[in-house]
Parts: sequence; C-alpha cells; structure tokens
Amino acid sequence: MGIREELESIGQGLREELRTVQDTQSLEQLKVRLLGKKGSLTALLRGMGQLAPEERPKMGQIINERREIMQKMLDEKMRELSEREKQMRLEREALDITEPRDLPEVGAVHPTQAVLREVLDCFTGLGFEVVEGPEVELDKYNFELLNLPKNHPARDAQDTFYVDDNIVMRTHTSPVQARIMLSRKPPIRVVCPGRVFRADEIDATHSPVFHQIEGLVIDENVTMGDLKGTLDAFAKRLYGADITTRFRPSFFPFTEPSAEVDLTCFNCRGKGCRMCKGTGFIEVLGCGMVNPKVLEMCGIDPERYSGFAFGIGLERITLLRYGITDMRLLYEGDLRFLRQFR
Amino acid sequence: MKVSMNWLRQYTDIPVSDAEYESRMVMSGTGVEGMEDLGAELENVVVGRVLTCENHPNSDHLHVCTVDVGGEEALQIVCGAPNVRAGIEVPTALIGARLPGGVKIKKGKLRGVESQGMLCSGDEIGVPVELYPSVGSEGILIFREEYPVGKDVREIFGLKDTVADFEILANRPDCLSVWGVARESAAALGTQLRLPDVTVKEMGDGDVHDYVDVSVEDEEACPRYAARVITNVRVKESPLWLRQYLFAAGMRSINNIVDITNFVMLETGHPMHAFDLDKVKGRKIIVRMTRPDEKLTTLDGKTYAMTGRELAICDPDGPTGLAGVMGGEESEITENTRQVMFECASFERTGIRLTTRRLGFRTEASGRFERGVSPKTVLEALNRACQAVNELDAGDVVPGVIDFYPHPLGTVKVDCPVDYVVRRTGVALKGEEMAELLRKLYFDVTLSDGVLHVTAPEFRQDIEGKADISEEVLRLAGYDRIPSTRLRGETTQGGLNDKQRRHQCVQNVLTGMGFYESMTYSFISRKVIDQLQFAPDDWRSAPVTIRNPLGEDTACLRTSLLPGLFKTLSTNQRAGNASGRLYELGNLYDSAKKTEDGLPLERDTLAFGVYGNEDFYSLRAVAEKLLRLLGVSYTIVRASERCLHPGRSAKLMSADGAELCVLGQVHPDTAEAFDLEKETFVCQMDLDAVFAVAVPMGHVQPIARFPAVERDLALVMPDQQPLGPLMDAIRAACGEKLEDIRLFDVFRGIQVGPGKKSAAFNLIFRSLDHTLTEEEITSLVKKALDAAASLGAVLRA
Repeated sequence: MGIREELESIGQGLREELRTVQDTQSLEQLKVRLLGKKGSLTALLRGMGQLAPEERPKMGQIINERREIMQKMLDEKMRELSEREKQMRLEREALDITEPRDLPEVGAVHPTQAVLREVLDCFTGLGFEVVEGPEVELDKYNFELLNLPKNHPARDAQDTFYVDDNIVMRTHTSPVQARIMLSRKPPIRVVCPGRVFRADEIDATHSPVFHQIEGLVIDENVTMGDLKGTLDAFAKRLYGADITTRFRPSFFPFTEPSAEVDLTCFNCRGKGCRMCKGTGFIEVLGCGMVNPKVLEMCGIDPERYSGFAFGIGLERITLLRYGITDMRLLYEGDLRFLRQFR
Repeated sequence: MKVSMNWLRQYTDIPVSDAEYESRMVMSGTGVEGMEDLGAELENVVVGRVLTCENHPNSDHLHVCTVDVGGEEALQIVCGAPNVRAGIEVPTALIGARLPGGVKIKKGKLRGVESQGMLCSGDEIGVPVELYPSVGSEGILIFREEYPVGKDVREIFGLKDTVADFEILANRPDCLSVWGVARESAAALGTQLRLPDVTVKEMGDGDVHDYVDVSVEDEEACPRYAARVITNVRVKESPLWLRQYLFAAGMRSINNIVDITNFVMLETGHPMHAFDLDKVKGRKIIVRMTRPDEKLTTLDGKTYAMTGRELAICDPDGPTGLAGVMGGEESEITENTRQVMFECASFERTGIRLTTRRLGFRTEASGRFERGVSPKTVLEALNRACQAVNELDAGDVVPGVIDFYPHPLGTVKVDCPVDYVVRRTGVALKGEEMAELLRKLYFDVTLSDGVLHVTAPEFRQDIEGKADISEEVLRLAGYDRIPSTRLRGETTQGGLNDKQRRHQCVQNVLTGMGFYESMTYSFISRKVIDQLQFAPDDWRSAPVTIRNPLGEDTACLRTSLLPGLFKTLSTNQRAGNASGRLYELGNLYDSAKKTEDGLPLERDTLAFGVYGNEDFYSLRAVAEKLLRLLGVSYTIVRASERCLHPGRSAKLMSADGAELCVLGQVHPDTAEAFDLEKETFVCQMDLDAVFAVAVPMGHVQPIARFPAVERDLALVMPDQQPLGPLMDAIRAACGEKLEDIRLFDVFRGIQVGPGKKSAAFNLIFRSLDHTLTEEEITSLVKKALDAAASLGAVLRA
C-alpha cells in the first residue's frame, strides 16, 4: 500500500473512531495512537525517507495538510466531549438545596443593652458625653446634694439599701449629676447609664436591681423648652417620627419645675389600646429643670446657669419596646428568651 | 387619698365629666389614680313601704307582702325575713333591679305565690353597718327615718357618689384634704371656690383655762399646740352624711366626737385628737419627750416601751398618747364622756417619722405629720371642729382657746422677675398673665417693673423661691404650652466613655462567637459565698454587707460573677436547652480596697460559661481569642480556684504577672451545689486588669513576598510534658523565621511506649527578605529539635 492509500485509510479510520468515541479519555488515547511519538501518522512521516527526493516535498506537504485537518477534527471532538462531560458533572453535583442544616450561632447582647445602645447613640449624637459613677454611693451624693436631707419624707419613695449610715446602694443615677457638677464647669451635657437599687420584692414589675439613664445639661439660658426638644428627639429616634411627648406636672426634690413625661403609645400609635389603658400615652420618664438649690450646693451659680435633668428607666423602655410583660424574664437568662433578640 | 365627689362639690362646682375632670387635674399637677362610682352595681332599688304582711299559705316562714313603691299599684312580694312586718320602709329591688355581685332580680314564684321583687338586707345591697347603723345582721334593712316611697336608695346611702382617688405629690401636703383638692379643682377648672366661713358659737361664761392646763416642754418638736374644750358632751352616732363621707374615704364611723376629728382631718388636712378630759389626770396636758422607762398603751390596745426619743402627750402620771401618731387608751372617748378637749397641733415631721419607723406602724395622722402640717392653719381647723360640734349638737363649746405658738411663722414673699419665668420655662407669657394665674392659685400678686411680688397663701408650705413661682405659673398655664426647642450654645464633645466602649468591644466579640448576654443581681447570699470556698484571707470572702436586706439573698454584694452565671446556666440546663454559651458583664464589690471617697472598689468584670458539646479547650479558646483581639499577651498557668476542677482549670497571666482571668471546668462539688447537671466550663475575667495592658492596633506588617517552607515534626516525649512550654521553646529557638507552629495531632499508645505521647507539629518557615535556602531550613529544624530535646522530646522514629 502506497503512502497515499495509507493516508486515506488512516483518515477513514479516524472518521469512524470519532463517530463512536464517548469520552475525553478515549479521545486522548486516540490522539496518541494517531499523532503521538509512536502514532500511525507519525510513522507515516518517518516513512517518507523511502520516497524519491523529488517526491518528498510534495508528499510532505500533503501529509502535513492532512495532519492539520485531523488535528482540527480531534480538537473539535475534544471540545464537544469536554463540554458534555462538564454538563454531566454539573448535573451529578446538583444538591437538594432545601435540605436543612444547622445555622451558625451568633449571640446577642442583653435586650436592655440593645436598647441602651440605641439611647446612647441618640444622645451622643446630640453632643452628650457618657459618664458613670459608683453603684455603692455616699448618702451625700445620692440624697443630700439632691435636696433630699436626712429623714426627708421623699426618701421614703425610694426604699434604700443601706451599707452604713453614710453609704447606700444608689437608688437612682442622679448622684452622678452631683459628682459631675462638682467636678466640671458648664457647659455640661452628659448621660449616665447604670445599675440602681431599691429594696423592692421581686415581681412582674419590680426588681431590687434595675437600670436608669440619667441626663444632665447645664449651660446659660437652658429652658424647659430645650428639655422638651431634647426628649422629643430621643422619642422620635427610638420609637419613630410620629411619636410625641406629653409633659405632666410632677415633683422631684432635685428639679423645679418637675414633669412626668408620657410618650405616644408605640403599640397603638396614640389611638388607645390595652397597653396604654386607652389613653394613647405611656408614662416613660421623669424630668425637670435642675433645682437652683441643687446647683448652689454643687457649686454652680444659679443666677448665671440653668439646666435640666431627666431619668429614664431602662427596663421600663425595654419592656415597652419589645412588649415583654414580666420583668423577671430579663434576669433569668433563659436562652429561649434571649435567642429572640437579634 | 380617697375623697367623695359629693363632699368636694360642696366647695366648688365640677361642671365636667369624670374623665375630663381627671385629665384637667392631672395636667395641673394633682394626680388621679381612679374614679369609682360607689353605686355602680346597684340599680332600681327604691324605698318601699310594706302595706300588708300575711303568712304564706304554703310555708311556715315566708310572708306575702304588698309593698308601695310609688307606682299605681302596690307590688306583691314574697319575703322570708323574720323581721318583716306591715308599716315599715324597706329597700325594695324592683323587677330588673341589679344588686352587687351581678345579681339580677326577675319575676318569679315562691311556693306557688307570685313575687314582683325583693325586700333587701344591707348585705344584699352592699351597705355595711359602718354606713347605716341599723343594717343589722338578721333579716331585711328597715329604714329608721321616713323617706318618700319610690326614692332611689343610692341617694339615701350616699352611693350616688363617685370616689376620686387622688395621688398627692410629696411637696403638697396641703392637698391631703378636701379643701386642698377643692382649691386645686377650682383653679384647674376656673370655678368658684366656696369654703365655709368658720365660726364658733361658744356657750356659758367659763373659760377653757378653767378646764385644762396645757404645757409644751419641747417647742422644737411641737411648734404649735392649740386646744378647745367641749362640755355637756352628747356622745351619739353621727348623722348619715358624715358617715357617708368617712365611708367614702375608707374610714370607719365611731361616734360623733371621734368622727368630727376625722372629718376635720379629711377636710382640712389637720390631724386632731379628742381627749376625755375627766380621764386626764389633774386635767393637765404636758407635751414632752418620753423617758426611757415609760410605757404607753395606745388606742388599739397595744403597749409600747418608750425610748426617750418619742414626743408624747402626757398627764402628770405619764404618757397618754403618742403625739401625732395615736392617742392613748386611757383618755378614749366613750358613751360616758362628759367633757372633751380637742387637740390640734403641729408636730415636727422628722420626729414623727422616726417614731413611726421605730414602732413599725403608721396612721392617717402620722402620715400627714410626716409630710408636713402647717402650723399656720391650726386654729382654723380647730374651730372647724367646734363648728361641727355646734352643727351636730354634740356639746357646748367652752369660750376661749389655748394656743401655744411661741414663734409664729411669717408670710412667704418672693420677688420673681417675669423674665426669669420666661427663661426658665421657655413659655413666652406676659407678666399680667402670670399674675392672673398665680392669683387663681390664691397667691397675692402685684406686678411692677417686670417683677412679680408674690405672697404665698398660708396653707402653702412648699414655696421657697423663684423656681417654685415659675412652676406654679407653668402648671396652671399648662405644660402643653412648653415649646420644643433644640439646645443652643457652645458645642460639646459627646461620645461613649472608656468603659462603655470596652463593654461594646467585649459584647461584639462574644456575641460573634455565639454567646448571649445574661444579667443577674448584684447581690449574693452568705451561703453562696461559703459554697465558693474562698480562702479566709481572700477579699472575696469578706463582702460588703447590706444593713437592711430584703432577705438572705440580698445580704451581701457579690464578690464573684460566677454564682449568678451558675444559676443562669443551671436554669438553661434544667429548661432542656441542649447547649449554651452565656456571659455577663458587671461589677464586683471589693470591701478591702477603697476609693478616695472611702467607697468599696467596684471591679469591672466579665464572666462567661459554656456547656453541651464544649470542653476546657473550647472555653479557653474564647478567653484567648478575646485577649488576642485586645492585643494582650499572656501565659497559661494552673489555677487553684476551689470551685473549679483542679486538673482542668487555668489562669491566664499578663506579662507583668497580673491575673487576667481564671477559667476551667466547674468542680463536681460546686456543680452539685449549684444544680449544674451537665459538664460546665466557666471563665471570669478581670476587665480592669485586661484593659490596663490592652494595646490598640498599630501599624500593619507588609505581606511576605518570598515562599514559605513547611516541615512536619512528630515528637515523642513523656506524657506529663506540657505542650505550651515546648512550643514556646521551639519558637524561641527558631526566632522570627519561624512564622508559625501548629499542633495537629497528639497520640498516645503502645507504638510510642507507656507514659509517653507523640505530638505532631506543623512548622512554617519564612523570611521577609529572601527565599530560604535548604541549608537555612536544615539549620532551623535542627534548632527546633535541639530545643525540643532539651525538654525531653525527640523525633519519633
């Protein structure tokens, strides 16, 4: 058989094999059998030596042309088969995307702390600095400098834990006010979060330990309107733009005038519901203009400076915020409760 | 304070609904806790006259009556009461009537005879004996007075009334009275105030000083003491209207004399006391401090030992009553009382407060004195009582008044610039408006040159200065007029403080690792401290103690966060929560170290605990990660904490030897004591110590551009050789070219021999400035092996 015939036969064989080959691996082998070092076409090229020298260039050209054609056919087939194999692999790898898995556990801060962050965020944004004071406090700061002298009846409203005659568990965060006024000069804008203590038996709405956030502003020309504006900003920031404050007259020895502040009920948005007992308002905090006697006792000239103070019950706004009805849940630490906060 | 609205309406009109009234009072500073309609449950019960009363044909105890209730025809009513008879007037429930407790009266037959209603007992219509004395316990209520038939019985019993429960602010003791609330009501509603003219009709030509002698020995404790005497006293029961007022206020009617003192207290806010003068030894009243050996039996029959610190009303034989708290048994008013002395006084509030505290009880009177009773208005109240004696014909008022009042209080005058009120309240009121508002509150005001010259009314004890005036103006103008303005002025540097910032950092790290925050009380019991078994000289065994705890559980301040954490973890384990990661942030209270104020040092502390699919190492990893994130370097040493497993607990120490945290598995004894069912691991971290050595993040390192070379080494060593120091030794030996060394396997078994273990490490070598050569690597590995060998670890064969 001459070279031409052999070339023809190889081409024929390749076409047949390409029709039946099923996978890239077999195709690779086929390629080696044809074009590899020991491949049939390679052998044919080597056989050129037997030809007459004048035939060689022409024959060489023919073989190379054929070789290129075959190479293309192989490449074409290779692309086709790899594409098919890739598709098969993707099908094989398909998952039941609905099969459940455990989610990674990400914890959460305590609900009161989550609310505290929002509150502090609001006030620091208004230029308030966060300060803190001791939880075990001198009677002087907790009561006396706040216009609550020894044996004053208003002390009864705050059942106090005593360590000794002069040391108490602070009953509110207001002593921090006194400490700040004594140690700084106006302008003062501070908020003081912290634990406070009252000798109350534990029930759904009472706890011997709870938290308050105290606010204090002292400057020239501070008015009760500024107090209202500040608390309005707080209420809207925490509970939404449609929430307003309502001030009611009240009494605290350390402020004059004093007010209780109600917020639009965030459950019914003021329409009246069970949570607000139909009034559309919820009592949230106490506040007032700092009593000039307190300013004076704390070394600030009441003729030049005025200021306001407010005290927010953190547990109270937390219970309201999340619709929790029993305060004890906050202190039990049951994960079934805590996992609901995100 | 509960007040009958009918009583209040005597003194001012209330031309608005209950709800509107409540809101107007609240918005002007008088809290209202609630309004109760006394007769809400009683409907269609009228006065009926029994015309005839026959025996029931089919019963031996029932009667068939005809009853006139003012209708066209008399009703036939069957009644089983033994006291029913013709001619009496009785509360009669008509068909469709409602009685307290939700009872409805329907037409019915009783043993075959039709009954068109019911004759009622006091019980059935909710009228107690205190309200209507002849109620009786047997049978139906028979009216003692004659009433028109068909009249609604609620009017007779004063049940057509609403009782308002006022919440009086601590600075307004003057409002603990009907007059006080009437004044506020009139001011809030803009109605006329009609307080009675107090006039007394005196009888005979004697003088009060002929009947009794009063001496006050302690004028500080008793700044004013006034008394009047009544002779020919006629002790009897009080009229219905008086009983009704007392009933609505929650007080019991006793007799006319005692009721008058209570009536005056409720009306004017001045507690009073009535003495049977014949029982006062030597007719001599001495107001003085007790002596330590004295005893006193009060009206309620209890005997108290005196301490020498109580103010007492005495006769020459000794104390007969506790001033301002309770009268004595001896001089109690009885049916036989012939002469009465009324006392109306002002006692200093602190003394009263300390006395009731010591004795452990409070009365209506002492409650008022503790909040402050003005000496200025004493006489008016005393005379009001005598006026009531006149009106009730309870006796003859002897001419003259005893009035000990050595240092009369002056009137309170305040000059308050109009501008001051505007600047303080933010409400732009004019001077004349302010003056008008103050006058409505009974202040005397003149306005000149922009200054309000204000004289406070006598009954006000709380007015001291300009700030009080601004509040009075504002509360009557309405707090709803306060504008909402933003703070102006110099800007201030706001922001979190260090502690809040560090807490947020800890919270973020721990919640990211799956921890939930819990919160427990700052208190701890002595028993729990004992369970933790601190050494006697450990500060944690000597907590700050509370002098007046609620109980055992609030006796001390915590010196460890672990008991609270144990409790939380135990709660979760018992609740069936399979696993848990919890932490708490809070203070420990160190009584051994004092702040410059002499207060116990408060230590900022973190505790966290884990259980369920956790072990010592997973707990320690949390502590280590937290420390590393804060840039804190530490060494690990064994801990000797008694509440932790001795072989599975550690302390992490800072480079300068401070204890950063202690952690480990809970000791089985502790686990049992705190009811921890599952293996539990806890850590307590001293945040003050940690943050003292925390390093803020600095410059970052450039990324190494040259390739790393890894080598694995399996080392065999005695089992007790700790791996931490071994790795430290290798790190030290290789220097900075050892980028990392990681433990990836620990193996114990016969292949490595008894008492030995094999530990496999992956070492990564790299240089920042060149590719390491084969010789360098060989040398580094040799250094590592030499370091290991020095600790008895050799390359595994």
